[in-house]
Amino acid sequence: MVCIRRATVDDLLAMQACNLMCLPENYQMKYYLYHILSWPQLLYVAEDYNGRIVGYVLAKMEEESNECHGHITSLAVLRTHRKLGLATKLMTAAQAAMEQVYEAEYVSLHVRRSNRAAFNLYTETLGYKINDVEAKYYADGEDAYDMRKHLKGKQNHHHGHSHHHHGGGCCSGDAKPVETTQATDAKAVSK
Amino acid sequence: MKMYKLAGEERFLLWAVCSIQLQVLCDKSGEKLLLLAEGLLKKHIASHSMHEPEALMVYISLLEQQSKYNDGLEVLSGDLGSLLMIEVDKLRIQGRLLARANDYSAAVDVYKKILELSPDDWECFLHYLGCLLEDDSIWKYFDNIDQIHPTKHIECKFSHLTEEMFDSRISSASDLVLKLQIDTENSNLRGPYLAGLEIEKRKFLFGKKNENKLLESLLQYFHKFGHLACYASDVEAYLHVLSPDKKTEFVGMLVKNSDSFSESATKVLGQTTTILKVQELTGNIFELPIDEIEASAVKLAKLYCQNLALSKDLDPQESMFGEELLSLISNMLVQLYWRTRNFGYLAEAIMVLELGLTIRGHVWQYKILLLHIYSYVGALPLAFERYKALDVKNILTETVSHHILRQMLESPMWVDLSNLLKDYLKFMDDHLRESADLTFLAYRHRNYSKVIEFVLFKQRLQHSNQYLATRVEASVLQLKQNADSIEEEERVLENLKSGFQLVELSDEIGSRTLRFNEDMETRPWWTPCPEKNYLLGPFEEISYCPKENEKKDREENMKLAIQRKSLLPRMIYLSIQCTSTALKESVETNGSKGDTKISGELECLLEEYTKMLGCSLSDAVEMITEISKGARTSESLGSNLVEWLNFAVFWNGWSLSSHEHWHVLNSLFERLILDRIRSMGSSDMSSCYSDVQVLVQIITEPLAWHSLIIQACTRSSLPSGKKKKKNHQQHSDQLSSSPMSQTIKDSIQSLCSTIQEVSNWIQNQLDNPEDDQVERFLSTLKRAEDATGGPGQILGVLENVIASSEEAEVGNRIFDALKSWNTADSARKTVMAQQRVFREFLQICESKRKQLETVKQQMSHV
Repeated sequence: MVCIRRATVDDLLAMQACNLMCLPENYQMKYYLYHILSWPQLLYVAEDYNGRIVGYVLAKMEEESNECHGHITSLAVLRTHRKLGLATKLMTAAQAAMEQVYEAEYVSLHVRRSNRAAFNLYTETLGYKINDVEAKYYADGEDAYDMRKHLKGKQNHHHGHSHHHHGGGCCSGDAKPVETTQATDAKAVSK
Repeated sequence: MKMYKLAGEERFLLWAVCSIQLQVLCDKSGEKLLLLAEGLLKKHIASHSMHEPEALMVYISLLEQQSKYNDGLEVLSGDLGSLLMIEVDKLRIQGRLLARANDYSAAVDVYKKILELSPDDWECFLHYLGCLLEDDSIWKYFDNIDQIHPTKHIECKFSHLTEEMFDSRISSASDLVLKLQIDTENSNLRGPYLAGLEIEKRKFLFGKKNENKLLESLLQYFHKFGHLACYASDVEAYLHVLSPDKKTEFVGMLVKNSDSFSESATKVLGQTTTILKVQELTGNIFELPIDEIEASAVKLAKLYCQNLALSKDLDPQESMFGEELLSLISNMLVQLYWRTRNFGYLAEAIMVLELGLTIRGHVWQYKILLLHIYSYVGALPLAFERYKALDVKNILTETVSHHILRQMLESPMWVDLSNLLKDYLKFMDDHLRESADLTFLAYRHRNYSKVIEFVLFKQRLQHSNQYLATRVEASVLQLKQNADSIEEEERVLENLKSGFQLVELSDEIGSRTLRFNEDMETRPWWTPCPEKNYLLGPFEEISYCPKENEKKDREENMKLAIQRKSLLPRMIYLSIQCTSTALKESVETNGSKGDTKISGELECLLEEYTKMLGCSLSDAVEMITEISKGARTSESLGSNLVEWLNFAVFWNGWSLSSHEHWHVLNSLFERLILDRIRSMGSSDMSSCYSDVQVLVQIITEPLAWHSLIIQACTRSSLPSGKKKKKNHQQHSDQLSSSPMSQTIKDSIQSLCSTIQEVSNWIQNQLDNPEDDQVERFLSTLKRAEDATGGPGQILGVLENVIASSEEAEVGNRIFDALKSWNTADSARKTVMAQQRVFREFLQICESKRKQLETVKQQMSHV
């Protein structure tokens, strides 16, 4: 539903406004910027018919591990626009980009144990499986499920990408997160 | 470039190209440089080809920036085009380039293709329609970047089309839409149906007399999606084109049609909510008689209660069914208050929202509505508490803090205000400082297009009106907080470079375009922007599209307000400097050259200040003189009353030796303050807070600056050291007996008694026992047994449910919340918050008065 498009830096204002309206979490500005400036292909917004941003997905590529994989950092949809399939569309778009642009092998995410609606979305609609449970992952002491979904990765790639390389690795080559943003991991800032 | 030459790497070249693009974008000059950048890229492609999708994006945007759309298309369809992995992304760029090159028919085909791939892509549909009708106005919203939610419903151009052309094109659009509707029938997509509405709207705007058809389509859309929370915002733009009669007719149609529905409870609930939202949007609700609005609010309250059980098993973070009903009820109650001035309605709105928050603690709409109602009734500490509960941080400080900032600036709650300003400035300053690192991050990841976006974004924040205003206000707050001691004040001024920096800022602002990043859409209907509050004026019908035209005025007014304020610190500094001259003059009647310079600068600033108030210096002097004599009323000063008083203070500071000026100023203070106290009489805080706000500002700004000038005068006349004591003794003797000294003493006397009046009024308010006030608050909600209308009905409905609800029915979470509710507690909190504002204000008044008394004593020792 609605127009799912890549986020621009200007969208950050409206994206954070979504946070006011639907999620208690509120990442630091530089964390959003860190995502959009590093992996702009992985940020999508759902723009409603009157131009409002009503949802977004924030994702990144993990750079430290050997297996190249993507990670969903945050997914939000306004309460007024739930149950319209927006979250699924946003997730599908981000996953497709991970696969097509970065050749990710799998995608991971964390979800609160108590968040049944989200858990159902990930397992039933999107095909994620529980990989692990991280005790007291959130600042308020709640556990998180570490969930994963396998992507087709390199094997079944439809698009030719002979031109496309980012300095060799699946993630953006020589880029390392800058000191300031590295400290701001999901765990540290989400409540 | 040097690095590119050394290493030959693509990224260094693109770095240079981006820098050129940015330079042209920001300065709007140096277009020839773009040609150079293009040449460099071409050369690079010829020798090394191109390897990164982002590099391609930069290349295309560079061509677009020079309006070389066909060149862009050529690149896109060539080998390099395969760098773009995602088909739809590529098609979108292709469509845009074709459209901007005015190759509309080719663009139509491309957009059609995208719509077949993703039938719900609204932006694409608008582009499709725009190209079909050869209307390029859709591309204009690229320039309309100053809103968080840029509106995509732009004006449409048709003049170039004959009726025949229009008909045939619109009918092909209708065919496509029909096909999309059939293809997606089972997927419940809104897009294709909204597209149908858009087509009817275009027909209507073209001049077809199809208003009824448009209504019918809106109704059909209601049948399909009316139960969704997004219906009202979906159709907002279509409602606005309707004539007032048709709007009313449409509301009637909805009401009639919703009655025939009795499917699931959630659907009925959704539709009822939607109808109310449409009534709000069309302004229809403002035309209804009072008893109908009351009846409707009672109906909604009952509906809310009936449906509580639906939310029994919901997770706490999910929206409750009927959550919006309470916001709608509170909007109605505020309107009823506006129309009747019966405070009970406002009290009831507070209760409804507080109860809502007790049941569901995270609902941000309740918090925002409460914040504004509390601000209006002077319960500012509670308003601030609700604001804090919104958890506003990071960039939200820029987009959301407008809800509270202005009220806090006009309040005596300096500690909270200071924290608010500090947090905001810290976020902005940190961000601006870190932006160099972040730009580099984007470069390193080779996301060149993001570099450009990011730099422009940084500018957007840098030129934010709120950021500039807050920088000035933070300095002014320090001056206000320290105004009781001239030594402290001078220390603050020294840190502000004697106010010089802010004068420079004022000059700079004059030539700047200010940016507005605040999200105003979340504000309640009755205060659509911080400067506007309908409740302060009489009830009148409000038209519902004034937001756009207000924007231009707002920019101009904000600019002037920030500029005026930024002159204050310097004027304070100069006035203090002037005192020594004035006193010497009055004794020795000749000033030195340096002093003339100071007074000259002050005169210039005064001229600038009055110009920004809309008149010349001499007219301004005439104005305040006439008001002080009672020849004119203070109404002629409009909403800038405090600034006019500031002017009067510094005008006196500039011409201290004139006894007449002192006199004008004294009676000005006396008149403006006492008039206000008289008009407030014995009314309580809830009905006169706007007057209290003005008093707070008068006492903490112009009166404080004037008392600083008095302190400076006294200090110059006092012995400053043992060495000079003898000389000074003689000097002071002269002064104490001089008419100047008498003038100062008179002024102190006048100020002290005026402040005393304010203190007495506040003390009277504080002397009312808290219990009595709570009782009075609650009595506005009490209803006589046989009463037919009036406040208290809705609360009655809600309280009945609280008394009769059962745990098994509504679930333990809601049940516990209901049981914890206490109406009297909520009333008490409001009263206590109002009292706290009074206490803070009283403290400020008392400290000002005491300080003036001390000065008076010093003078009498002279």
